[in-house]
Amino acid sequence: MSTYVYGITSRSHPALPEGMTGVGEPARPVRVLTAGDLAAVVSDAPEDLRPKRRDLLAHQNVLAEAGAGGCVLPMRFGSVATDDDAVVQVLTERADHYAERLRELDGKVEYNVKATHVEEAVLHLVMAENTEARALAEANRRAGGGSYDDKIRLGELVAHLVKAKESDDAEQVRDLLAPAATAVSVGPESTGWLLNVSYLVPRDSAERFLASVEEVRQSHPHLDLRVHGPLPPYSFVDPGPAQPAGTTTGADAGAR
Amino acid sequence: MTVVPAQQTGGGGGSSGLYDVLELVLDRGLVIDAFVRVSLVGIEILKIDVRVVVASVDTYLRFAEACNRLDLEAGPRKSPGLPEIVGEVTEKGARGKSKGALSGAAQTISDAFNQARQEGETESRPRARKAPSRSKEEQE
Repeated sequence: MSTYVYGITSRSHPALPEGMTGVGEPARPVRVLTAGDLAAVVSDAPEDLRPKRRDLLAHQNVLAEAGAGGCVLPMRFGSVATDDDAVVQVLTERADHYAERLRELDGKVEYNVKATHVEEAVLHLVMAENTEARALAEANRRAGGGSYDDKIRLGELVAHLVKAKESDDAEQVRDLLAPAATAVSVGPESTGWLLNVSYLVPRDSAERFLASVEEVRQSHPHLDLRVHGPLPPYSFVDPGPAQPAGTTTGADAGAR
Repeated sequence: MTVVPAQQTGGGGGSSGLYDVLELVLDRGLVIDAFVRVSLVGIEILKIDVRVVVASVDTYLRFAEACNRLDLEAGPRKSPGLPEIVGEVTEKGARGKSKGALSGAAQTISDAFNQARQEGETESRPRARKAPSRSKEEQE
């Protein structure tokens, strides 16, 4: 029976989530394996594990639970070892490395911030700032919407202006929030958001960080800021010390 | 064991809020070479391909229409006095329902994401290109 791994933590972790359930259908019971000073939060791996929403959520829930009581190094979703012994072996072989990461991340949590523009608000802003766009829109409106080409001309200009604003806003927000964090990790770009940044924040200064977020919400009302946390430090765990480049499975490639 | 509310999530909610977190679960976290990872075919592709929406004719037309409506709403107080109006509308907009300006893509992604999940049993085809056009229909 192969073993699904949720995360690695210290053996002395006060609240390991024994008794809760994890991935699979039916959900597999979560267990804890120990080796030296370290522990791994695991369950049996379902045979047909796929990245379904309920399984992703189960992974996140187990880590959130474990992370609430102390530092956990979260595994990326879908990490499966051949058996329990293989997990114990990894913990043993790389004990120093994981112990160091746990010390480094102790007392710190991740906050992920994603931002999108509020469409109407940002359109008003770019129209107010750009006379050409305003003139084109005005002309189109007088012409009952304008010809196809007129619309394309206006739309292209506005899209360009909005895109520029996205970059400006992303940079501003990233820098405004950084001082309240210990470390910053910029996530993959996507059109789903104009900003996707994770901040490593000491637990005891989380309020200060959230206050900074609130200030940005006030100063940038044309942005929709979505803040998620405290999360296990997904973006701040290093790859294992013995991991040569390019050995991860093909599925990782898209994330780079 | 005690159940501690481990996570507070602000300013999001709904399916895009969920996606915001799941993106981290899928793309980040510790990878150990001694372990294998389940195949995530059909998930990552979605995120990359939604980019194509940005520089499309459809996007331009949508923006043009939006600007048209925008001016109508602003009514007689348009152009010269616009900055004041911006303030008002901005506040209203920020509190209200919001959507990514360039494509509403947060929705697009989570729709596509849900779809991929539902169809996860069958081997996933590179279906991402369908997602943007589907979402456009929804918006219109």
